[in-house]
Amino acid sequence: MEDDILNEIVSSEDLKKFERLYLNESTTDNLQRGTQFNYAWCLVRSRYSADIRKGITLLEDLFKTEDSTNEHAKRDYLYYLALGNARIKEYTKALQYTRAFLSIEPGNQQLANLETLIKKKMEAEGLKGIALAGGVALAVGGIVGLGFALAKGKK
Amino acid sequence: MSAPPYSYSYIFKYIIIGDMGVGKSCLLHQFTEKKFMSDCPHTIGVEFGTRIIDVCGQKIKLQIWDTAGQERFRAVTRSYYRGAAGALMVYDTTRRTTYNHLSSWLTDTRNLTNPSTVIFLIGNKSDLKDQRDVAYEEAKQFADENGLMFVEASAKTGDNVEEAFVETAKKIFQCIQDGRLDLNATESGVQHKPSQPGRQTLTDQSPKPSCSC
Ligand SMILES: Nc1nc2c(ncn2[C@@H]2O[C@H](COP(=O)(O)OP(=O)(O)OP(=O)(O)O)[C@@H](O)[C@H]2O)c(=O)[nH]1
Ligand SMILES: [Mg+2]
Repeated sequence: MEDDILNEIVSSEDLKKFERLYLNESTTDNLQRGTQFNYAWCLVRSRYSADIRKGITLLEDLFKTEDSTNEHAKRDYLYYLALGNARIKEYTKALQYTRAFLSIEPGNQQLANLETLIKKKMEAEGLKGIALAGGVALAVGGIVGLGFALAKGKK
Repeated sequence: MSAPPYSYSYIFKYIIIGDMGVGKSCLLHQFTEKKFMSDCPHTIGVEFGTRIIDVCGQKIKLQIWDTAGQERFRAVTRSYYRGAAGALMVYDTTRRTTYNHLSSWLTDTRNLTNPSTVIFLIGNKSDLKDQRDVAYEEAKQFADENGLMFVEASAKTGDNVEEAFVETAKKIFQCIQDGRLDLNATESGVQHKPSQPGRQTLTDQSPKPSCSC
């Protein structure tokens, strides 16, 4: 199996482990953001799109409720939102997330790599001509004004 | 379906680990792109890179997982250790704390990988000679005591970067030849690709040509 960041699969062992931690904390009303992030990070690497969608929902929730000064956390969520969406072939959304990220941090090689990978995948699937609807300001998954939300956290 | 033709005969999985800021991503970038990133942001989660190298006449594709060193990613990055054939464990020669943390990185690696996983220790940023904080001899001794391969390298000048990645592959390849690494084990971190027509596979070669590495 040829691996890359878009088709590498989380082991079911790990997915279960981080799910258990998440559920334990949720049921005791003691859910840590880090636990939710770790679980979401595993979910978006699942082979099942239902898991990936669940991961995306958890990441959107983290993004919306994150302290606006915590720019690092927001970068993490954006990156995995882009990755998760790309893995369920929601390429337009995925690229909006990478664009939002790159508009704040243009030189980021990791994001540039992800964007290239997504575009290659689209090309391979014959989706070359799909235009990006709207710009960065478009609401993606209920997250409005991504670029702005990020920029606010910047010094 | 017939197998696609591969331009390489093996895939080796590598991980790069170590404290944040020691230069893991720069080492990977220098190895795959031959360029230095002078202003590299912290990695988010994991990054990935590949390169095909030639070892003992075999084309080997390295699949390299570059893990984030920041604490908040640690729990999940551990899941990438499984099935690594090679682990590059990096510290920063100008920051002693990154060296002091090596034993905990090593324990993690030993616990999460196979006994056959080749661990290569890299003391990075060797170009910053005036700022040296860890003596070569000390690190060399640590490496010897723990059975690790070791070089000091610089992702900036490229010094010893190629060597670290390639020497690790040679060692893994030797383990395959010696039979110490079982190709059929699911978590060996090595995949053998079906050979192209007219091309010898390793097992066909008799007697084995002695590899000069
Ligand atoms: N002088 C010098 N600087 C280096 C070298 N390698 C990396 N750096 C610098 O050190 C900083 C950190 O490098 P990274 O490659 O991002 O470190 P990392 O280990 O990937 O960090 P995390 O992703 O947070 O785990 C960057 O600003 C690099 O430019 C080197 O060999 N020499
Ligand atoms: Mg890095």
